[in-house]
Amino acid sequence: MSPQRNPLTGFFSVRGNMASNYTIGLLFSSTGPYSVVAHAMLNGALLAVDEINADKSDVVLDTVFVNPNGELGRYSPLCAELLGQGIKHVVGCYTSSSRKEVIPLFEKQDALLWYPSHYEGFESSNNVVYTGAAPNQHILPLLTYLLARYGNRAYCVGSNYIWAWENNRILRETVLERGGTVLAERYFPVGETDFTQVIEAIFEAKPSFVFTTLIGTSAYQFFRDIRAAAKARGIDQPRVMPLASCSLSEPELEEIGPEAVDGHISSSVYFSTIQSRENAAFLAAYAARFPDGSAMSADAEASYIAVRLLASALAAAGTDDVAAVKEAVCRQRLRAPQGEVWIDQQTLHAYLTPRIGRSNCNARFDLVQQASEPAKPDPYLVWSTPRYEVAMQKQKLRVVR
Amino acid sequence: MMQPRLVQNFRGGRAFIVVNEATAIEPLVVTLGKLGVQIAGVHSDPREIDPASLQADQHFVFLDGDLQCPIAWPLSSIAQLPPAPLVGLVGVEAPSRLRALVQAGATAFLRKPVHGATVYSALYIAVNQYRQRRELEQCIDEHDRRRRGRRHVIKAVLSLVQARGIDDETAYDILRRDSMRERQSLEQYCEAFLQETSSQTGPPARRRRLNAD
Repeated sequence: MSPQRNPLTGFFSVRGNMASNYTIGLLFSSTGPYSVVAHAMLNGALLAVDEINADKSDVVLDTVFVNPNGELGRYSPLCAELLGQGIKHVVGCYTSSSRKEVIPLFEKQDALLWYPSHYEGFESSNNVVYTGAAPNQHILPLLTYLLARYGNRAYCVGSNYIWAWENNRILRETVLERGGTVLAERYFPVGETDFTQVIEAIFEAKPSFVFTTLIGTSAYQFFRDIRAAAKARGIDQPRVMPLASCSLSEPELEEIGPEAVDGHISSSVYFSTIQSRENAAFLAAYAARFPDGSAMSADAEASYIAVRLLASALAAAGTDDVAAVKEAVCRQRLRAPQGEVWIDQQTLHAYLTPRIGRSNCNARFDLVQQASEPAKPDPYLVWSTPRYEVAMQKQKLRVVR
Repeated sequence: MMQPRLVQNFRGGRAFIVVNEATAIEPLVVTLGKLGVQIAGVHSDPREIDPASLQADQHFVFLDGDLQCPIAWPLSSIAQLPPAPLVGLVGVEAPSRLRALVQAGATAFLRKPVHGATVYSALYIAVNQYRQRRELEQCIDEHDRRRRGRRHVIKAVLSLVQARGIDDETAYDILRRDSMRERQSLEQYCEAFLQETSSQTGPPARRRRLNAD
């Protein structure tokens, strides 16, 4: 038995006598418009790989990493390349559009995508294990918090794709059902950074809160610009009209910068400030492995969870056969940094613990609310929403561009 | 006309599946479970289901277009709707098979073998199309009923014009106002008014009100 070096991670692994080697794919846009989050996700996955390989466990993971650079058209060919090498398990994707781009490949070749990001739900592919939060684990707790704490006049600003559309649909129905108002929904292309007009419109509308589903560089610029505009008007923006998000994480707070980092509300199943032995060990290992890496985030933790669960399932199944691994993963329980995590057999989504955080000046989140136990995933909101769509006052919404 | 509210959550619904081969529909059964829909029964012959037991707001039917036996459920008179929303399962994509499903009242289709990712869309479209057509059917039915009653309105207007020496606009306004007071449609009110007038023994309250006007 001799230590072997992982060519990607640089770590050495010691293999047990009976250890089985499996090659897994890692599919993350570590460059491009949402690279800050995707790079953190890659780091989370790599950390888990290193721990597993150093663990003398039954499983040794080799990795093949591909980077689509945030270009939607590159996801499918790169993914086909991975699956063409005989790889059956790929951890990756951040945006829903990229996930939907590659799912047909996984279904065609009966491989398994381990998707480690929060998303808008209304999907349950038999070839995807979802370790990020479903909508009942992020947006519904956020709306309950916002409506109780700040008021019921919402203004929505988002990147123009399914994440924003569907979250805003859920928000609109929830807010209207509780007697509130959606003042506007404004959408921008991914990567857009000119928000002058919409910021003017927001100050004019005076919402109780602004719900943002902007991602990547668009989000960071929007946070900076609205804070600067508020200061110029003498408005205490975090108090008067806080910005709320279901995707804002610690590495992104660092990107926003010190002038506009504090006072934002985020709904997530993981914040780096969670006080637990598992999280402390996780943060220490991450800091040691990536001393110059970005801050820990929910998506990085979800990637870590995905790889840990995958390795446990491979060990339990004794094979990388997809059906056997799927069956095995539903029997695993993981003491993750966020708390106990396990996979729901019916939907292949994870039981996770919803939390609300408020960003502080140190680019971290102070926990302001936390569920008492992991919440059952409800990707179709079957158990969380009424039978009928909430009647909408159509005249209040209009296409502006 | 008010648009019926869209159904987007099918929790508590019960599905009947009528198929040639149960193996082709395993992903359908799995996905319906994820959507909170119970399987009420899997059959190979539609005659095994009593159409009178189907409730439009609770049941869904998934019907295989490749069945050998004919589908002879009663359809509604105007919109040709079956007793519950129906999704056609398409195997052989021939016009004769598709026509059989359309004639059975299918408002959405799923290709066999069923793919799990298409089930929510098919159910969403089938149920909401069904509800919209049912609403239109009720609307057409109501218009038909009122159209048939217009002759009572014309007769009642003429009767008032002759009896009171007023013009037809005034007579119409009187009848319309009184029908609203009685919380009846104008056609129903006029029919009753004519019956009372012809028998001369109508309720005193109605006669008094007309006289007062």
